[in-house]
Amino acid sequence: MKSKALKILKSIVSAFDVRRWEKKSKIIAVTLIALFAVATVFAAIKPSEQELMDKASPQIRQELIKDETRSRRHVVITYNDLYFINYASFTTSGVNSISEKYVGFAGGVYHADEGAWNITGQFINYTYRMLGCGQSMLYGAKLTIVLTTISIGLGLILSILLALGKISKNPLISLPCRAYIFFFRGTPLMIQIFCIYLAIPGIFEGFSWRSLFDSDDPEGVFKGAFVAAIIAFTLNSAAYCAEIVRAAVQSIDKGQYEAAKALGMTYGQTMRKIIIPQSARRMIPPVCNEFVMVLKDASLVFVIGLMDITTISKTISASGSYLVFIPAMVIYLIITAFFTYIFGKIEKKFSVYE
Amino acid sequence: MSMIRTEHVSKKFGHLEVLKDINLTVENGEVICIIGPSGAGKSTFLRSLNQLETITGGQIFIEDELFLHREHDKTVHSVDKARQKQLLLEMGMVFQHFNLFPHKTVMENLMLAPMTVKGMSKDEVEPLAAKLLSDVGLSDKADQYPSKLSGGQKQRVAIARALAMQPKIMLFDEPTSALDPELVGEVLNVMRRLAEEGMTMLCVTHEMGFAREVADRVVFMADGIIMEDSSPEEIFNNPQNARTKQFLQSIL
Repeated sequence: MKSKALKILKSIVSAFDVRRWEKKSKIIAVTLIALFAVATVFAAIKPSEQELMDKASPQIRQELIKDETRSRRHVVITYNDLYFINYASFTTSGVNSISEKYVGFAGGVYHADEGAWNITGQFINYTYRMLGCGQSMLYGAKLTIVLTTISIGLGLILSILLALGKISKNPLISLPCRAYIFFFRGTPLMIQIFCIYLAIPGIFEGFSWRSLFDSDDPEGVFKGAFVAAIIAFTLNSAAYCAEIVRAAVQSIDKGQYEAAKALGMTYGQTMRKIIIPQSARRMIPPVCNEFVMVLKDASLVFVIGLMDITTISKTISASGSYLVFIPAMVIYLIITAFFTYIFGKIEKKFSVYE
Repeated sequence: MSMIRTEHVSKKFGHLEVLKDINLTVENGEVICIIGPSGAGKSTFLRSLNQLETITGGQIFIEDELFLHREHDKTVHSVDKARQKQLLLEMGMVFQHFNLFPHKTVMENLMLAPMTVKGMSKDEVEPLAAKLLSDVGLSDKADQYPSKLSGGQKQRVAIARALAMQPKIMLFDEPTSALDPELVGEVLNVMRRLAEEGMTMLCVTHEMGFAREVADRVVFMADGIIMEDSSPEEIFNNPQNARTKQFLQSIL
């Protein structure tokens, strides 16, 4: 009995071991798809706010009314689509603090300050709020992932040009590239975000990041800030990736250049067909590293009013519970494990010739 | 008509004078082996012919056309870019360390340069590449990556790759020096056949047997100058220069 439980525990732990995902990727993919399917079904049958309230015990209903009058605000119920079980949290302050006193669960409303509900309810509630507070599902995680992926993608393209520029023997090309890398590696990312978000509209009169989007768009402010954040992160990660690219390009054997030259290939052809494809493989591990760094640095977007996983969990922890950092870490782990796996796959694809 | 002629070619790396006044004429169809102690400038000379190194002084003629004339590290005369590219394409080069493109298969290694440099279509190059591969006896390795080949096979692919550009002269820079002894023969056989087919060849080599058997002329280089330049029989049986005697004694 005991050994069986240990076995199950071991298999759960090993599922998080990225090195073993190679063999298990199929199983994991199938499991994830199955989980999503179940989640979709449960999400579809979630009860309405009225139904949930109807099922609450008379005692709880009374207390809810009492709470409402005490805080002189409406009780707002928000649903959590994340869990297969129906769950609602109650906002009594009306602004941004959610009471964990009650938990809506499986079609009923229960006290959240007694017994197991205390922990479970808070845990579920915090995770839920961290993932978007009802703004949109997985808002924080989505922002982090999208921001990181786009800025590393664009940054890599830019960094190849920067790296080749830095290697160049022509000082007119190499000096600006050196200066760029020096500047963006030598100044804090947070100040770069500030500069791009605030200084650019200050310099160009009449331009604001908000104005990039429809003035009717209620999300326009956030979208504008998001564009500014992407630009800042792209420019910054390009500087770091440029060093990675440069190191990878310079690690390619001199003989490859000579062979290409002896065959009559131009510098551009040599780079495109010979050097870059070979250095791409060597770039992947450090780029993966840079990706994970940027993923965590993404929390800096809070300075321009955007919320990522870290920022949202920090905001929640301010209201008293520090339990919230555990799900935050789990979410980060899942994201980084996923991308490490993807990078590993790419590396393998590039290494067929070795 | 001479394929390549050099006059007073010199090359300095900083203060180190690697080549001093090299005068050599390579006639069409001739096989010349360059021998000599290490540090003699043999490789540098070969590499300066196809511009992997830039000479500091002297003249290089390709097909009797003044290709490059430099004095005191300054270019006096040079053919225009387009013609330069054209003339350089007439030289194929084989390196000591093969320098195959590891991320391309053997077939792709052969087809890459004709397609990118000459702009030939895949359909045009493929039969040519396949024939060259079968000539070097590696048809079955066409879809392998170079990492799966032995040293001798790599070098044979490298020779085929250079030949795919259809050069008029082949430069061999110690093609067998990085090979295990038992693999040397297969590469030399390919080179021998190439020589029999009438290819103009310039080989830097330490394979005296090969030089004696295949070469039309053997050039002995030491300290950046050509010490002796005559037929293989002369050099090996009756060397005139004291340095040549000393060198041949030390290796035989």
